[in-house]
Amino acid sequence: MRLGRSLPVVFLGPALMVLIILAAVPTLYAFNISLQNRTLSAPDADYIWFANYLAMFSDDRFLNALWVSLKWEVLTVSATMIVSMGLAIAMFEAASPRWRKVLSILFIIPVLLPRVCAAFVWKFSFHPLYGAVTWPARAITGDTPDILSSPAGAMFAVAFVDVWQWGLFFAVIILKLLEALPPQPLEAARIDRAKRWEIHAYITLPMLKLPLISLLLVKAIESLRSFDLVYVMTRGGPGVATETLDMYAYSQGFIEAGNISYASGMAVVMLVLTVVMFTVIWKRLNQ
Amino acid sequence: MKPVTFVLRLVLVIAALLVVLPLVWTLLNAFKTNADLLVSTPKLIFTPVWDNMEYVLNRRSVARALVNSLVICGWAVVLGAVLGVPAAYVIARVKNRITQEAQFFALSLRFLPPVAVAIPMMVIWLGLGLYDSRVALIITYMTITVSITIWLSIPAFERVPLAIEEAARVDRLGPYATFFRIALPVAKLQVLSAIAFSFILVWNEFLLAMMLTTSRAKTLPIIASEMSQLGMSVPWGILNAAVVLLSLPPLILLALVGAGLNSAFSAKTSQE
Repeated sequence: MRLGRSLPVVFLGPALMVLIILAAVPTLYAFNISLQNRTLSAPDADYIWFANYLAMFSDDRFLNALWVSLKWEVLTVSATMIVSMGLAIAMFEAASPRWRKVLSILFIIPVLLPRVCAAFVWKFSFHPLYGAVTWPARAITGDTPDILSSPAGAMFAVAFVDVWQWGLFFAVIILKLLEALPPQPLEAARIDRAKRWEIHAYITLPMLKLPLISLLLVKAIESLRSFDLVYVMTRGGPGVATETLDMYAYSQGFIEAGNISYASGMAVVMLVLTVVMFTVIWKRLNQ
Repeated sequence: MKPVTFVLRLVLVIAALLVVLPLVWTLLNAFKTNADLLVSTPKLIFTPVWDNMEYVLNRRSVARALVNSLVICGWAVVLGAVLGVPAAYVIARVKNRITQEAQFFALSLRFLPPVAVAIPMMVIWLGLGLYDSRVALIITYMTITVSITIWLSIPAFERVPLAIEEAARVDRLGPYATFFRIALPVAKLQVLSAIAFSFILVWNEFLLAMMLTTSRAKTLPIIASEMSQLGMSVPWGILNAAVVLLSLPPLILLALVGAGLNSAFSAKTSQE
């Protein structure tokens, strides 16, 4: 394929330049700030080198945020994959082509909604006094269950909204992948009287192993962007039960202390963790 | 109907209701008075009022945020498309070390935690005197729009049959003309859906906008989230109205994104 000599440079060059600048400058800047003791109120700062990083490891709230982030990742990624595979197989097995079309359009909607909106919609539904989700409990037992005020309840409620957005969307993609599979192995299995769940457990899902792992990785990356959901629904609460790393970095840097150097240090830790982890996994997958 | 099929259909119906009911409910709530909204048993029958919408639409802060959102997202998306679509074409057509690394680099920008971008960006824009300006947010958002446009446009151009481009070359079309008059029109739908998706991402963006603006350049999601902070008496009706308005643009683009998704997967099957 010949594109001429100038076209690749003219077309790819500017985009790459812009992206490299936009990635490198903030990253280096973040590292630089994290070595200082800069605060929001005072513009002057001294270099304190790695003191911010050392402080993190004796900061219980930071360790808690690290743990909450890990729980959040595992919970949302696994729930999204289970829900999406289940719904995709259900559509594949039990829905006519027309219904598949309708469901596909419906299932894309939640992920397109602004996360702020999704969070509000469900936050009001979970409201102990006026919510629609809590209404059956109010009507039957007379209780006013406050889901968002218990640590486990808050975690699951926020994760539910995340899975509501991503699990349904992934179901559509997995359905398209199932539809694109060659029909012969499925036919053969049917002739051998394999049960329907056996066909999926032993044939279709193993055939889709690579795309499914890619989806899992995409979800793991997107799960890192939970700030808006957590911010609107719980503000990290109750206590610090849903305080993820970005939430804690935000409140350290902007709300409580204005300690942007410390927040920056946490951002650098997150950055190194995620970039290294995902780069290694992604490169290994694509080999 | 077999019992298994029945159960599976029931699951699908429940999942569909989980999408439809909250949205319809929010739409209804946007037209309720607080007296109709804040009741223990949810009300289906009520006299709709336009007050909430009117309140939201007439607020100066909302009007300003709407203009901000449109200008900021518009510019970020246009610049992202102008830079990203041609780059995606090169990556799709030239397969070598550099383009492979470029493709991965565009993806890896998505690995960056938003906080890790927001904090240094804030310091940088403060230093340049551009903090809380539209320009600052546009440039920051280009990290998102350029990389996503590249990433989603690559498969679009890979789908364009090489034979058409070869034919164009035989007709003595130069490489640039081949791109603009052949490849781009053929890949149009999927490229447009990629651009639409990048618009949705920045329209919905929250954390960067919140950390990089304080008053002048605030975008709609920030204003919407602030409405819940008016003390103990949360104005739920107004909030629902704001949610409805904020969700409209992404929903308008739903058809385009859906069509792009369809063509992305249908192409794979027809080529194999």
